[in-house]
Parts: sequence; C-alpha cells; structure tokens
Amino acid sequence: MSTILSFIAIQNGKPTRSSFEGLSRARHLAAQHGHTLAAVVLAPDASAFTDEIARYGAQTIYTVSDPIFAQHMNAPVVRALEAVIAQVQPALVVFPSSEGVKDVLGALAVRTHAAVLPDVASFDLADGGVEATRPVMASKFYARVRAEGEPVLVSVRSGSYEATESPADATVEALPFSFDESSLKQTLREVVGAATGGIDLADARVVISAGRGVKDEAGQHLVQELADVLGAAIGASRAVVENGMFPATAQIGQTGKVVSPDLYIGVGISGAIQHVAGMVNSRVIVAINTNPDAPIFEVATYGIVGDLYTVLPLLIEELKKAKAVAA
Amino acid sequence: MKFCVCIKQVPDVTAPIQIRDGELAMDAGRVVLNAYDASAVEEALVLTEQHGGEVEVILIGPDRATETIRKALAMGAAKGTHLVVAEDAELDSASVSKLLADFFQDAGADVILTGKQAQDTDAGLGGAMLAERLGLPYATNAVGLAQEGETLVVTRQGDTGQEIIALPTPCLVTCSNDMNDPRIPSLKGVMGAKRKPIDSRPVVDIPAARVRTLRYEPLPTREPGRVLEGEPHEQAAEVVHLLETEASVL
Repeated sequence: MSTILSFIAIQNGKPTRSSFEGLSRARHLAAQHGHTLAAVVLAPDASAFTDEIARYGAQTIYTVSDPIFAQHMNAPVVRALEAVIAQVQPALVVFPSSEGVKDVLGALAVRTHAAVLPDVASFDLADGGVEATRPVMASKFYARVRAEGEPVLVSVRSGSYEATESPADATVEALPFSFDESSLKQTLREVVGAATGGIDLADARVVISAGRGVKDEAGQHLVQELADVLGAAIGASRAVVENGMFPATAQIGQTGKVVSPDLYIGVGISGAIQHVAGMVNSRVIVAINTNPDAPIFEVATYGIVGDLYTVLPLLIEELKKAKAVAA
Repeated sequence: MKFCVCIKQVPDVTAPIQIRDGELAMDAGRVVLNAYDASAVEEALVLTEQHGGEVEVILIGPDRATETIRKALAMGAAKGTHLVVAEDAELDSASVSKLLADFFQDAGADVILTGKQAQDTDAGLGGAMLAERLGLPYATNAVGLAQEGETLVVTRQGDTGQEIIALPTPCLVTCSNDMNDPRIPSLKGVMGAKRKPIDSRPVVDIPAARVRTLRYEPLPTREPGRVLEGEPHEQAAEVVHLLETEASVL
C-alpha cells in the first residue's frame, strides 16, 4: 500500500477550491486502489487549515509552518515539498495547477527524481504508471500521456473534478522545517497589484469576462455592475489587459488563468482560441457580442448578438428583478 | 552580460491540424519559433541594447529546425547552437533539460532565458528543471525584466499579483509573451543571419523519457448553444429566465 499526497495551496489566507478538487479526486483514486490519502499544506501557521482539509477525507495531514510561506517564493516551497516527499514516499502527488505550482513543479521533479504531468484535465492510476489527458496545441486537442516511476507529480486544471466533502478523522503531523534564508539567492522585493477582498478568479462560481467590445470607463462600469449583481469575479481577454483597462491578474486564457465557473458571461469577447482555452470548461457560457460570426458563439450555451452598451443595462435590470423575486 | 536563450521550433498552432489514427496530421512546413521564446529573444536583445552584452540562442531539434535558429539570428542574436536530434526522437521535458544542462556546464551564461512554455505542449517545465539542474536561482512567467548592475529584476505574474523579484546573475528566467512584442526581422537582419555562426552538434545519447504521449484525442465538444432572438430587452429577459430555469445557475 502506498500513499497519494495532495498539495493544498493557500491563497488570500485560505485553501483554494482547486486544491480540494485535486484532493477529492485523489480520495477517489486512493479508495479505488487501496492507497492511503494524505495532504500537505505550507503556510505561516499551517495548522489553521487542518480542520477544513480533514473534511475532504485526508487521513494524514502534513503541516509545514514557517513565516517564509506568507508570500510565494519558489526556493523554500521546493525545499519543503522535497522533504515531505522524502518522508512520505508517495506514489503520486496531486497539485492544483496554479501559477505558484507551475513555478515549482519542474524544480521539484528534478530534486525528487519524479516524472511529471503538468496541467492535466483528467488522470488515473494505470498499470503501475499514471495516465492523464492534457490539452495541447493551444487547447485544440487532448494528448493522452503516460508517466512511469514513483513518484509521479500531477498538476490538475481547475474545474476538472468536483470538490466533494467526505470527513475523516485525520492525523495531523507537523513537520519541522528550517530554511536557511542566507541560502536564498533571490529576493522578493514586493508584490504589486494584489487583489484585496476581491473574488479570486480561478475559484469563482460566476465570472464576467470583458473583451475588446468594452471600450471605455462606461463599459468598465457596466461590467463591474453586472459582476456586483451576480457576486462574480471579473476576468478579461488579453487585448483589454494589454491596453491597460483590466489588470493582468484578470487575464483568462492559454497564457493567463484557467477558469471553469458554473456561469461565465463573455462581454464583448470574440472568443479567440487562446481565450477559449481558458474558459471552455465553464458549465454555462453566455456570450454577448455584436458580431454574429464571433467564435465565442460556437461554445456559448446562450448567445446574444448585440451591443453590450445596450444589452448590459437591460440584463442588469432583469437580474435585479429576478433577485428581488427570489428574496 | 551574456544572455543565452533556449528556443524551440513548434508547429504553427493556427494552421489546420487534424487527428489521424491518434496522431496529429499537419503540414510539416508550417513551423514557427515558439512565441514565448520569441519574447525571450526580444527581451534579451532589448537589455543588451541598453546595457551591452551579447545574445546567443540554443535549440534542440531535427535538421530542419535550423531555420528557427536563423529566425532568432535575424532578430539580432549573434550566434546559435543546434543540438541535432532525429525527427522522431522521444524527448520529454526532463530529457530536454538534461541535454541543455550538459550544454550550459561548458558554455556558461550570465542569464539563461526560455519561453515560459512551448506552444505545442504547453507543459512549462523545462525552465525550472534546467535551473535546478544547474543550481541557479530562477523566476518563471516573467512579464517584465530590467537590469540593475549584475542583478536582474523580474516582474513575475503570480496568482494574486505581480511579484517583483531580484535575481543575482547567473540566473534563469522564463518569459511570458505578455512581456513585449517580438520584433519582425528586417531584410538586413535576414541577410546578415545567413553569415552568423551556427554550431551544429549531433546528440548521441538521448536521456530516456519517462513521459510519453500515447495518442491525441479530439476535445469533448460542447452542445451547440443557441442564439436568442428578439429585441434587446426580450433577449435580456429570456437569458435571465433560462439561467434561472433551464440552466439553474442563478
């Protein structure tokens, strides 16, 4: 019997939903193959998260607490996870595919002699290896890939699995960690433009995404108002991030964030393949665009051909009415 | 400072590609310099134009990938190294980073740049693997790069904000295409590239790959959606109704 280890990423002071999606998938695989399920969390005070993690069925929760984890830096994360993997000897380590994870996965694989399958849409244990599907060629196709050996590191795109609770009596094991800061060659000077209090895009249930059709401040306000009515996070296409109308943290797509909310509303977005790569797994997609031939309509559940400056005020009004009736 | 940029030749993902018997079928001629690597080359050129230094490129690929090295030389790089492998060589990120690490043990560079991922596999592992093998500090997903003496200041797009990271040289940085718009080589650049040196070295021992692609599959298709008819106020009312009832997401 071996162990499946699930990495729980902390963002804005709490575990990310995609971490629990990975942990839930790991729990199913552990049950199916008779493995034990463990989780690992790194934070200034990692013990603060163990109750929540236990709700998703981890039997053992390894905590590594150190002030250095207050902000993301690759070297200490790699060192800590290397030590945990050396102790736990897992067959498989499951990560949420966040920017923080992408930053450490390659280095960790080298240090632990692991094979690694990044950014997968599904994964399974198969005949002593791990098989996965992952989008390739700008998300035009899936590649079916296979990794051999132990451990295998897998990072999972958000929304690929459901986060489901299954409470367990977890054993918490606090692991000692001392990182020699003088060995740290890089310096994190500051983190700028960090969203405070906003809804994290990758974890949001509803996402409003703005594209080139949003041309001015009035358009930005309409997007914000729609997001407020729905309690949504705001995303954006590359074009409106590049022209400075929306922050870089809002960018959805092949080079930005991958979102898979219950509801995605694309506002003035044409649906370039690079953008669609980051949102196509959304459950319901609404598209509003003036061009009836925009590719976004090929993936939209509901399409409205029209000018967002006309449609959004009406839509906001209808949503307010619907909320009033519901309340 | 000496910059060395690791580049890759990739299929043009905007070209028509089909799946036949689990294999990708595409026009073999439609290949390009990986867009993320092009941004890395551009950034190296900009920094050396500002602060002095030189830019070299290294590529692992079959014979035909020489044209991609020429592209980088036409942009302004001074020299290329081509580690030549067979067309059907089985390489994964680990084996690529091993070959590159062996190269850099001898070659050395103050700054190694790579694209943050290759646009065909979108794996994004090679940069951090190479840095780890060489014991270098590194930063990934850079959207900005500046030089302060012997230090590189990287703006990295992180999960919740942009991280400003100072890296002492030697170091490695992987570049996002959000960093810049790579220059289009001038005619003079293209002509000059023909005379620039390319050091071609056949790779004898390819490290065994532990990750293999078994086959390619089409993406699951979404049910075709529907476009709502009527006047704007009717469309707005209908979509809210559908979201409440049919889709039940409100």
